[in-house]
Amino acid sequence: MKNKTKTKISKIKSMTDYKGLENKYKDPTYKYRFLSYLMNHIPDVIYFKDTEGRFVMVNQTHAKCQGLKPEDLIGKTDTDLFPKKRAEMITKDDLYVMKTGKPIIDKIESAVRGDGTYNYVSTTKVPMCDDKGKIIGLMGITRDITRRIRFEHLKEEKARMEKKLETLEELNKMKSEFVSAVSHELRTPLAIIKDVIMLLIDGIVGPIKEKQKDLLMKAKDNIARLNNIIDELLDISRIESGKIKMHYSLINFNDLLMDSSVFFKKLAEEKDIDLGYNLPRSQINIFIDAERINQVIANLINNAIKFTEQNGKIKVEVKIFETKVRVGIIDTGIGIAKQDLPKIFNKFVQLSTRFQAERKGIGLGLSIAKELVEKNGGEIWVESELGVGTKFYFTLPRFYTDKVLSKDIRDKINNLLEKNIPVYLINLLIVNYTEFKKRLNIEPRKLFEDLRAVIEETFKRFCYAGRKELQIVLQDYAGGELGILFSKIKEEEATKFCNLVKDRIKKYFTKNRLENVFINLGVLSYPSKFHAITTQQFLANVSIKKICIGSEIRHFSRIPYRIDIEILLPGNQIESSQTIDISEGGVCLMTKRKLATDAQIQTKLKLPKEKEPLCFRARVAWIKYIEEVSEIGADKYRLGLEFINLKNRDKKIISKFIKSISPSIHKSMGSFAR
Amino acid sequence: MNKKKILLVEDEKVLMETVTLRLEANGYEVISAYDGFKGLEKAKKEKPDLIILDLMLPKMDGYKVCGLLKADTRYNKIPIIMFTARAQESDKKMGKEMGADAYITKPFEPQALLEKISELLRNEK
Repeated sequence: MKNKTKTKISKIKSMTDYKGLENKYKDPTYKYRFLSYLMNHIPDVIYFKDTEGRFVMVNQTHAKCQGLKPEDLIGKTDTDLFPKKRAEMITKDDLYVMKTGKPIIDKIESAVRGDGTYNYVSTTKVPMCDDKGKIIGLMGITRDITRRIRFEHLKEEKARMEKKLETLEELNKMKSEFVSAVSHELRTPLAIIKDVIMLLIDGIVGPIKEKQKDLLMKAKDNIARLNNIIDELLDISRIESGKIKMHYSLINFNDLLMDSSVFFKKLAEEKDIDLGYNLPRSQINIFIDAERINQVIANLINNAIKFTEQNGKIKVEVKIFETKVRVGIIDTGIGIAKQDLPKIFNKFVQLSTRFQAERKGIGLGLSIAKELVEKNGGEIWVESELGVGTKFYFTLPRFYTDKVLSKDIRDKINNLLEKNIPVYLINLLIVNYTEFKKRLNIEPRKLFEDLRAVIEETFKRFCYAGRKELQIVLQDYAGGELGILFSKIKEEEATKFCNLVKDRIKKYFTKNRLENVFINLGVLSYPSKFHAITTQQFLANVSIKKICIGSEIRHFSRIPYRIDIEILLPGNQIESSQTIDISEGGVCLMTKRKLATDAQIQTKLKLPKEKEPLCFRARVAWIKYIEEVSEIGADKYRLGLEFINLKNRDKKIISKFIKSISPSIHKSMGSFAR
Repeated sequence: MNKKKILLVEDEKVLMETVTLRLEANGYEVISAYDGFKGLEKAKKEKPDLIILDLMLPKMDGYKVCGLLKADTRYNKIPIIMFTARAQESDKKMGKEMGADAYITKPFEPQALLEKISELLRNEK
């Protein structure tokens, strides 16, 4: 160790022994050598001129720029090298330096290069004097600063573009506000006209003849049409300016559809169209902005009626999938031409066939529908064939509130939400309750009383100063559910609370000699598609946690995992792809083909560790069009496939595989549902 | 049976005329006010059975009139229908916060207005 230090010090000493160095390089030949080294290796142009402007010495770079050797340049002037105009400018600067004796420092000029491209140079010129102070010439350095200048220009350009963009955004905002204000102002006179006409029609100001009434009815219909346009304009301007806000509430989806069905059935009947509803038997509760989703449904059904001929059929169907609810509005109408399909959701769309027959409105309806569905966390797509019919589908995310939430709870939640009170709902659910009850040696009623006591006690301990009271909102002895509602607390607090409850319930069951009780705590999560703001809004007002007691998980968890998958397309074509996620109920993958909704396809899934790939049939549950990102990339679709008629053996393999890739699922915080 | 008295506060003269005609044809007595201030005054003096209140009013807007009436125990039982060209959620919310009992958007279906009126008057009993 000591030795090492010593050598280090001696090294430093020898390095700082500059006196020796100075002596060594005192020799003028060294100085010359250094200077010429600098001259010939520096990337800047260096030159010395006499009073006549003739080069007396130039460096390598200068000569190279002219395609010459340094010695070839001696005695030449700038007039020999550059175009007349440029040479004159250089001479002017030279004369200035030599006459005044003042240097020119960092003068930036642009010049045309030998190859015709522009460059930027910075020039510094310094007068040279003899021993008596008489100016005998000058020395100049010119540096190419094209890159620096270009960078600065780019920066300026960027700033300019940003400013432009800002102005554009401002303009766009102004446009939206203008549209909004105008549409708004149009409503009042329209209301007056309508009311006047209605007074006449209703005969309040005196009897009118049938023919007169007929004409007034036509006027009234057109007021309604104008009003629709104003509504659409208002909607789109609100959507564009980001002013539209979703008001989520818990909705029984079947009820929502049935509410408007009477109206639409009547409308369809007038055109002799058979409008049928195909709804799932089970109740389904979802979190949506009911008014807005109603608007979407109304738009799609109205369109279907408009573009379906007499004796046609329209079917409204709802299908429930693992994470989504899918609504389909399927008609046997005139259809949409293939070339029109991609632009159908665009604003102010003018279609070649569909809207020519009956061009009403301004083509905003579908683009509004798309925005509203997406704002609600769903997707919308269309399939159509000219002369055969059109299928519009849209999805809405499911939050696993089906069955779990009774009307009672929903009312309570909505009540609180309406008052802008954020709530937390913890739902205790005993999975496989029938089985569970058999193993239970206590009365279900007693069990629930006990559970309630456990929760209340936990809550009391958990609540330090000033915590709001706890509301047990549901006790379903028969169904095995217990719902607790309280005003919103912080996320981590809620998780903590849930964990505490879970532990205590577990203890309670072990105490009661009921073993193998599996308690799962899940947090409802939201599709990634959900807009950040929407999610915040949603999360700001309601949170749901579920605690499940039981021996198995009821819903499938989707686990992001890549496995090779082959899908057999019509015409025996095989497309290879990879899964995005997998669950016991199905897979999600990307494909280049647009498959039809509900199409059944053959697939091959290559699970690792399995020798043979699994073959099974699957159904296309939902489709999401992914916009082309790369230039070469063709269209892409994200497909949700649902397994159908899985063989028991395959089911076991898949479930085993899923267990193997989901280490956290059986632990407390595994995501319960997506 | 006494005729029910409805106070209509609306600054659009034509709309005032048409709505008045319709209400009278349906057996109501209508008193009118063209601005918020007059509306408030008449509401207090005449004690109508129901008030139809436009939002955008000169002198005092509908929210304010509604809020003042609903804050006063002498008048807060009078049902108020907010009547406006606005249809934005935030407006509806504000109207409700001010204690409005119903909300009708212009252009309106006359039938819907009449139904709302009779519904609110029924509740009144």
